[in-house]
Amino acid sequence: MRSKISLIAAPVGLSPGGYVPKAYADRTAPKTPVAEFDAGKVGDVWRIRLRWACAEPHRELGDDVDRFIDAAAVLAPTVADAPMMTMGAPGKALEGALWRADRTALIGVRAEGLGTVERGDAPEGWSAEAEWKAGRWSLDFELPGWGVLDVHRQFAFAIWQGAEGDRGGLKSVSPGWIEIET
Amino acid sequence: MASQNPTMRQIAMVLDLNKCLGCQTCTIACKKLWNTDTGTGYAYWNNVETLPGKGYPKNWVESGGRTAEGEVKAGRVPNLDDEYGRAWNFNHEAVRKRSGEGKGKPWLRPDGAPRWGANWDEDRGAGDYPQENHYFYLPRLCNHCTHPACLDACPRRAIEKRDEDGIVLVDQDRCHGYRFCVEACPYKKVYFDPQRQISTKCIFCLPRIEEGVAPACARQCPGRLRFVGYLDDEAGPIWKLVNGYKVALPLHPEFELGPNVFYVPPMSPSKLDEKGRPTGEPRIPTEYLVGLFGERVHEVLATLEREREKRRQGEPSELMDLLIAYDWNQNFALGPRKREVL
Ligand code: SF4
Ligand code: SF4
Repeated sequence: MRSKISLIAAPVGLSPGGYVPKAYADRTAPKTPVAEFDAGKVGDVWRIRLRWACAEPHRELGDDVDRFIDAAAVLAPTVADAPMMTMGAPGKALEGALWRADRTALIGVRAEGLGTVERGDAPEGWSAEAEWKAGRWSLDFELPGWGVLDVHRQFAFAIWQGAEGDRGGLKSVSPGWIEIET
Repeated sequence: MASQNPTMRQIAMVLDLNKCLGCQTCTIACKKLWNTDTGTGYAYWNNVETLPGKGYPKNWVESGGRTAEGEVKAGRVPNLDDEYGRAWNFNHEAVRKRSGEGKGKPWLRPDGAPRWGANWDEDRGAGDYPQENHYFYLPRLCNHCTHPACLDACPRRAIEKRDEDGIVLVDQDRCHGYRFCVEACPYKKVYFDPQRQISTKCIFCLPRIEEGVAPACARQCPGRLRFVGYLDDEAGPIWKLVNGYKVALPLHPEFELGPNVFYVPPMSPSKLDEKGRPTGEPRIPTEYLVGLFGERVHEVLATLEREREKRRQGEPSELMDLLIAYDWNQNFALGPRKREVL
């Protein structure tokens, strides 16, 4: 299922705390307006491919303090009605994998609402290959044995452009769950 | 304004700016105790800047977080090269090796071409010499605000304000390094550690406080100008200076964060006219101090003048005795576990 999709800016108004919703109230346009994706299963392995334009890759922080890293995440609901835009809800978790341009291993993530993301080791065997070339990131996730995707066949993704100051809730996201055709 | 409620108790510090020597002992005491890791080279939880001056990070007052009306305003994470200044490495080895070899002794120099740093504009100040030149030192640390902008900014809820003493702490296990706290704090007193990719800030020497010992910056201060205690302790120095004599003021109260570090504003000698005669006007323009500490500066300076005059006349003044720190033990009142200053 190869597709091109228009992304939206994650709504900053939902961000917990009093600062982000006000300081970034004008951040209504996604810093990554469009992405291509492809999702499918080969044997036990879910393969999710993302492609997006990125003029200035941010692969590492060095010792800079005002620099942010390129990243992307894929998430799936653990229960049928888990809300995507709020990163799940209490008792309705999302789970998935976070790729960051400054490290090779994927990070496992789980959330039950905004501001609740817990990071840990990604499940055994999960990996991603990333390449930046000619102004585009290509990112290929290989996620063997991702059970909730087998069950619910829905996923969403988020992209952070480091050069644009994206981090946390400042991100471009798919506008909702993406259904995986059987 | 942030919506956090005041905590049950609030620890606080008062600094008498009339006595600061600009010696940076506090800066070093803090740095050596808490910030020697690689990623914290540039980070000074306590710094001392010369005013009038640009401060540290450079022009921090303009770096955002809060408007002059106390409203949230988008802030910035300062840049390491231009606003903090990278930590310098010196050519110690070259100096050591070449000395005594007949090639002449090289100067000790920092590497690269630093553009800013903590204490960069030391002792410059303002005003024409000799009529009205002036400067004073402003030691700065996290204000452990009653309504902390850093806490309000963290979408992870990784910053907490302790109920028992009001100390504001970053839970570094929860911190994901987003740096909204760095942006939001208008005092620029949260520092990002790019090695560990988390935020760090003054912990008010929490382990010492829990033992009844004042923070290192206060205990090491040779000027004996720092007072530490609880705001509600009417027998302690903080209550006396802030609420009793009302001579200690928060820095930039207009940010509306309720800072819990207070300053006794500096008095200054008279300007001179062209013939070298005192004009009676203070060298540090009072309006400049109002810009830092608010309108109450006028009444505080008047109180200080009045009490100083009493002392000059040989009359008792508890305020002057306290500020002079005849008995240094009176500078610190940390409750049941208070330790004597040796
Ligand atoms: S001074 Fe800044 S870092 Fe300290 S409590 Fe206040 S807002 Fe937070
Ligand atoms: S140690 Fe005391 S006198 Fe020295 S710079 Fe710090 S506050 Fe001022």
